[in-house]
Amino acid sequence: MKKVKRFFRHDNAGLLFVLPAVIYMLVFVGYPILSNIFLSFQNVTVNNLVRGEKKFIGLGNYKVLFKDAVFIKSLTNTVFFTVSCLVIQFIIGFALALFFNKKFTFSKPVRGILMIPWMMPMTVTALIFKFMFQSKVGILNYILMNLGLISENIDWLTKPHTAMFAVIATNIWIGIPFNMILISTGLTSIPEELYESAAIDGAGSFKKFTKITLPLMRSTIESILVLGFIYTFKVYDLVYVMTSGGPVNSTHLLSTYSYKLSFDNFEYSLGSSVANVLLVILLLVGILYLKITMKGEEKNEQ
Amino acid sequence: MKKLLAVVLAICMLGTVLAGCGEKGSDLTEDVTPSSSAQVSSSGDQANATGAKGDVTIWYYWETEGHQKALDHIIEEFNNSQSDIKVGAKYVPFADFKKQLSIGAAADELPDLVILDNPDHASYAAMGIFADITGKFDVSTYYPGPVNSCTLNGKLYGVPFGSNDLVLFYNEDMLKAAGQTVPTTWDELLTVAKACTTDTVSGFAHCSLQNEEGTFNFLPWVWSTGATAYEINSEGGIKALTQVKKMVDEGAMTLEAINWTQGDTMNQFASGNLAMMINGTWQIPTMREMNLPFGWNVASIPQDKYQASGLGGENYAVIAGGNENAAVKFLEFATSRDTCLYMMNAMGYISSDSTIAEGQFDGDPIYQVFVDEMQYANARGPLPEWPQISDAISLAFNEVMTGGDPAEAAAKAQATIDSIIKK
Repeated sequence: MKKVKRFFRHDNAGLLFVLPAVIYMLVFVGYPILSNIFLSFQNVTVNNLVRGEKKFIGLGNYKVLFKDAVFIKSLTNTVFFTVSCLVIQFIIGFALALFFNKKFTFSKPVRGILMIPWMMPMTVTALIFKFMFQSKVGILNYILMNLGLISENIDWLTKPHTAMFAVIATNIWIGIPFNMILISTGLTSIPEELYESAAIDGAGSFKKFTKITLPLMRSTIESILVLGFIYTFKVYDLVYVMTSGGPVNSTHLLSTYSYKLSFDNFEYSLGSSVANVLLVILLLVGILYLKITMKGEEKNEQ
Repeated sequence: MKKLLAVVLAICMLGTVLAGCGEKGSDLTEDVTPSSSAQVSSSGDQANATGAKGDVTIWYYWETEGHQKALDHIIEEFNNSQSDIKVGAKYVPFADFKKQLSIGAAADELPDLVILDNPDHASYAAMGIFADITGKFDVSTYYPGPVNSCTLNGKLYGVPFGSNDLVLFYNEDMLKAAGQTVPTTWDELLTVAKACTTDTVSGFAHCSLQNEEGTFNFLPWVWSTGATAYEINSEGGIKALTQVKKMVDEGAMTLEAINWTQGDTMNQFASGNLAMMINGTWQIPTMREMNLPFGWNVASIPQDKYQASGLGGENYAVIAGGNENAAVKFLEFATSRDTCLYMMNAMGYISSDSTIAEGQFDGDPIYQVFVDEMQYANARGPLPEWPQISDAISLAFNEVMTGGDPAEAAAKAQATIDSIIKK
C-alpha cells in the first residue's frame, strides 16, 4: 500500500495515462517489428512458411543481401532518391513559401490550390505521371518536341537511366506542397518588427533572409528535413505503380525490393531483412532527430 | 509542446513502415458476402452422403466483369441446388493475390477454395496450404499439361479450372494497307512489323513486364528454338534474346511494352496503336464485345524451328484445414459438363477436360486457332521455386530490350536458374 502511495506521490500518475498508448504501440508497432527481426534471422521460404522447421541462420540473410547486386542498387537508389527529392522539394518549397508570404490578392487561395498534389492519393498521381511520361503518346515528349528541345522521343520510363529521374520528378511534385506549407507556417511566426527594424538599419532583402529568416527558421527547417527524409525514404506505392522497380531493376527502392522478395519470389526471410535495413536507417535518422529537438528544447529552457 | 508532437509524429511514421505490411491481410476473411443474395429455398435437398455442409469461401482474381458474373452465376446455381453448403466468392486483385495468400498462410486466415494462376500452384502446394485430393477427384480425362501443374511429388493438389494459350493477333486492315501477309517466321514477323510501324502505330508487342506475365509472353521465343525455360544460356536461349533485341532495336517492337500488362497490350491493339500482338484466349470475349472498327484475326505465333505457345490457365485448389468436404462438393458441381461448358464459354477459356474441349468451339474459326495451338503450348514449372526462375528470365529479356547484351544477360539468368535448381 505504501509503495502504491509512493508511486503516485510525484508525477508517476502520468504513467498510467500513457499506458493505453504504450500497450497499443507494443501490440501494433512493437510486435510486428520484433517478429520481422526474428524472421530475418531465419531461413523462411516457400517450403517452410507453414510447416517444416524454421532454422535460425544468424546473419546468413544479410550476408546474401550485401552480395546481391540488386540490393546494393536499391540501397543506393533509395539514398539517391531521398536526397535529390529532399533537396529540390525543400528549395522549391521554400521559394514558394517566401513568395506566398507576401501579401497580395489571391495569395491565400492560390497557396491553397497548390496543396492539391499533396492531397491526391499517391496511386492516382503515379498513374497520371506514368501516362504523361509515355514515349509515344505522353504529353511531356509532345511538349518538348514542339518546343524543339528534343528531336526524338525520350523513353522516360522504359530505359534504366531515365526511369529514376521520372520517378524522382513525380515525387518532387508531390512533396513541394508539404514543404511549402510547413515553411509558410514557420515564416508567419517571425515577428514583422524584426524586418522593420532591420530595414531601418539599412539591411537589404538578402541580408534580411540570411540574418533573420534562416536563423529563426532553424528548428522548423530541421523538422521538415527529418520528417521529409522519413517520408521519402519509405516511399513504396509511387514506384510500384509507375515502374514496379523496373526496367531491369533500375528503380527498385528498399521498400519495393523487400515486397518483391517476399511476395513475388516467396523469399520471406530475405524480404524481411531488406525491411530491417530500411528500419535501421530510419531509426538512426529518428534518433538524430530526437537529439536535435532535445537540444533545442534545452536551449529554450535556459 | 510542438516539438513533442513532432517527435511522436516521427515515431508513428517509423512504425507504419513495418506495420503497413500487415494491415490489409486481416480484413479479407471477414465480411465475405455470398455473391448470390438468393436465399436457399429449394425444397428438393439432395441427401448429402459425405455430410459436407457449412460455408465455403472462394478467392479469385479475375478482373473482367464478364468473368466475375460467370462465377457468380454458377455459385448462385450451386447455392440454390442444395441447402447444406453456402458458397461465397471474394475478389482479390491479381497484383495482391500472391501476397494475400502468403499473409493468409502465415496468419492461418485462408479461404476454403482458391482459383489461382497455374505456375504458382506448385509453390503453394509445397508450402502445404493445399489439401491433397488424390483419389477424391477423377482427372483421367484431363489434358496432362494442366494436371501436371496441380501435381507435386505424385500427389494431386488441385483441379485444373480451364486453360488458355497464346497466339498472334493481327489487325487485318493495317497489314493490308502495308501490303503484307500474316507472318509465320521470325524474319517475316520483323519485316511485317516494320512495314506496319508509323508515327503512332507500333508494329508488334507483347506484354514484357518484369514479372510472371512477361515471362509467359516471352517464353514462346525460347521454346520455338527448341530450348527449355531452364536453358537460357544455350544456343536457343541466346538466339531468342537476340531476336527480341533486334525487334526492339529496329523499331519493330515497342519498348513501351515493358510497362504493359496483357490487358494494356490488348487495349493498345484495340485502340489501333498496335498492328500485331501476342495475347491469350481470354481476350476474345472482351474484344468481340468491343465491336472493333477494324478487321482482326488470329494466327499461330511466328516460329523459329518449332511451333510453340505458352500454356496458361487457372486451377482450383482446396485449402488444407478449410471446409474441405464442402469445397470438393462445389468442385464436383463446377467441373460437371454443363457448368464447366458455361464457364469456359463465358470466359473464353478452353476446358482442361479433353472430353469437354472436343467440340467446344465447333464452327468458331478464331477459337479453333487456340484449340489447335494447345498441342504446342508448353507449361511453366511445376516447381515450387518457379517464381524465382521466372524472375531471372524476365530480367534477362528486360535487359536486352533496354539495350543489354544477349550473351551476358543469358549467362546471368542461367547462373540464377542453376543456383535455384541445384539447391
